Amino acid sequence: MTMDMDEMLTKIKDRQWALADIDWDAPGVETISEDFKPRLKAFMADLCWIENVGARGFAAMAKKAPTPMIAEIYRYFHAEEQRHANAELALMKRWGMLEGDEIPEPSVNIRMAIEWLDTYADDMPLSVLGTVIPMLEVALDGALLKFLLEEVHDPVCHQVFEKINNDESRHIAVDFEVLDMIGHARARKLAIDFVSNLASPGLIVGALMYVPLLNRMRNNIVEMGLQPEKLYAAMSRFERLGRRGEFTHRVPLFQVLRVHSQMVVNSEHPYHLLANSMVKLSEYYPRALFRPIPTWFKELTYEPVSTGVKKGMNAA
Amino acid sequence: MSAKVCTTLVIGAGFTGLGTAIKLREAGIEDLVILERADRVGGTWRDATYPGAACDIPSQLYSFSFAKNPGWSRTYSPSAEIQAHITELAERFDLVNDIRFNTEVTTMRFDRREARWEVSAGRRTFYARTVVVASGPLSDASLPKIRGIDDFGGARIHSARWDNDYDFAGKSVAVIGTGASAVQIIPELVKVAGSVKVFQRTPGWVLPRVDLATPEAVKQVFERIPVVQQAARTALFVAHEAAATGLVWNTPVTSLIQQAGKLHLRMRVKDRWLRRQLTPDFRAGCKRMLMSSDYLPALQAENCKLITWPIATITADGLRTSDGLEHHVDAIVFATGYDVHLDGPPYRISGLDGQVLGEEWAGHPQAYKSASAHGYPNLFFTCGPNSGPGHNSLLVYVQGQIDYAVAGIRTIVEQDLRWLDVKKDVQDAYNASIQRRLRSTTWMSGCSSWYLTADGFNASMYPGFATQYLRQMQDFRIRDYEVASNAAARLWNIPRDVAAV
Repeated sequence: MTMDMDEMLTKIKDRQWALADIDWDAPGVETISEDFKPRLKAFMADLCWIENVGARGFAAMAKKAPTPMIAEIYRYFHAEEQRHANAELALMKRWGMLEGDEIPEPSVNIRMAIEWLDTYADDMPLSVLGTVIPMLEVALDGALLKFLLEEVHDPVCHQVFEKINNDESRHIAVDFEVLDMIGHARARKLAIDFVSNLASPGLIVGALMYVPLLNRMRNNIVEMGLQPEKLYAAMSRFERLGRRGEFTHRVPLFQVLRVHSQMVVNSEHPYHLLANSMVKLSEYYPRALFRPIPTWFKELTYEPVSTGVKKGMNAA
Repeated sequence: MSAKVCTTLVIGAGFTGLGTAIKLREAGIEDLVILERADRVGGTWRDATYPGAACDIPSQLYSFSFAKNPGWSRTYSPSAEIQAHITELAERFDLVNDIRFNTEVTTMRFDRREARWEVSAGRRTFYARTVVVASGPLSDASLPKIRGIDDFGGARIHSARWDNDYDFAGKSVAVIGTGASAVQIIPELVKVAGSVKVFQRTPGWVLPRVDLATPEAVKQVFERIPVVQQAARTALFVAHEAAATGLVWNTPVTSLIQQAGKLHLRMRVKDRWLRRQLTPDFRAGCKRMLMSSDYLPALQAENCKLITWPIATITADGLRTSDGLEHHVDAIVFATGYDVHLDGPPYRISGLDGQVLGEEWAGHPQAYKSASAHGYPNLFFTCGPNSGPGHNSLLVYVQGQIDYAVAGIRTIVEQDLRWLDVKKDVQDAYNASIQRRLRSTTWMSGCSSWYLTADGFNASMYPGFATQYLRQMQDFRIRDYEVASNAAARLWNIPRDVAAV
């Protein structure tokens, strides 16, 4: 059944929430043990930056949206991903993980993703963005959030992630609807689109960024005690949701990501030798080669209320 | 005692209404009344008192050719100076006594039997053989429909109804909107307010505005040698006409204009992300071009910030954006433009057979040459359907509309007509041609703008050069109209309400 995007936009507008809706001083901080904090901090930092990266992805998608209504929806999704990142930062602040105005450092793989997004995302066709973003949302967001809710018993955290999950379910619903729309194009167009993008530096660099990013997250969460099966279940959800669409299977990149996710899911697959080497290699990537962090990356804040104008890091 | 019936009733004492009265007088029609809802002349310019308010078309062109002002102080004069010029026009042409101030039209009805318009304004009723609607497309403004707007506890100020008593010094201010008014207000607010947050939904194309003070010597020359001023006006007219090739029609010139806009952005904004936020994703001309040299620097001032997140709701203390933040502010400035009356004037007009214009025009307003609507005889519109320019001075177009109305009214008076009513087939053919020509314009290139109705119908813009528009307006053809003659009625003793030829 085709989704009524008009109705969806109204629903999105009706369900807006703000950091100010949450009592950040409510009891529950004590549920986080001191020895768990450092690991949780690293996890939350990654999660928060992934939301921010997702936000930038939606900003690029808004420019490619097939209809003005979907463009408007993506405009909201862009903001909502930012809201999630802000809320996650606010949780870190609540848990005493941020000193003063500290904003956690993004990992090298996140920096690579930022750089890729800033350089290539706006020029990527919808067929690429519209396939990769759902994968990131389903796999990373889905698995990470599930893990968090199992490991952390702070009621405020649960309250926040209930709101985030509700937003995400709308994101995923629209993502797969659009993916299905993409698949509705003529096979010849899909093929030309795919082949021409396959050879583009954007997609090649994107793959080089994506493979270690995914494996780093996988390794991190395994280290933290998450059963990798949780991540695998989340990744297989990508395939399952994609199969529900009438035309999604016709999108070549969907098939590539689907096969790739099967390789990621299989821990015995030789793919991991390559991917983990890339993770290690990326550690040696000279930081000096990174361009200055773009200003959109500096917009994150844990402050629910903004008064006046502050510029730069932690600005609101 | 029978009610007094004037020859012409003009609704509105703004630039257009006064210009109409001047030209009617010049044509020998002295018996006219001007109705004005406010207590002063000036229309839009009387009401546009926000800081930085100025015209965005050079003043030499943003004035009537038959009532020039050699003393414009700048290339783009501020609103107070334009208002002073309009007031001076009313005095110079001795129009003040013909204006009924504080008189707001509520309904208009064509009395078929008496062949006259009956215009109600409060408790008063005016009768006129002919009516010119000069109440303007940009005369009303209302607050936008944003959730929670009534909950805000601070000051709510609309650009079109500026509160000059509010002191912005040191205050936290939110500005909603980034259109033509906003780009003028923001640089001024940034100078005095403590902080200014600009909430943008869609960025527009911004081109620099070269706004120079007019040297005293130039004013003197314009004053003493009018032909020089006319030459300057003509040069500006031709330059703006050339811009039509890119702003009216969607052509490679449009791409060149976009490149100029991008270059301007690149030169003024160093930050890539801010540039991205400010880069429009529609063809130049599709929405009104923004002319400003100080808007982009103002956005980057230390106390100013551009926010592109959607506004989720307005609260008692400020605004919530969809990124989850609440912005506390002392005042919200709504630079959200005017209620453009695409469905016709905001008062009820009923025509020859009792039909209502607002109902007929709902969604798809149509008129002949933007001036006459079938079924509404002896009624002439200014700024009517498909009369707007995207590249030239509105007043140039208005002058054409005035000439057309005057020609029509003269015809009615000189030929002693009961009424002139444009033929339906003529009006339909004209509009079919206009809609066909509109297809290749920038306005129909895919953006949503106030030029279009909710379903994307363009009832506001004229698809052509100003020269073309003026040529059609100078050509009043009585054969395009159904005519009812007093002489015929008398000669054949036909009942007055059926004397149509």
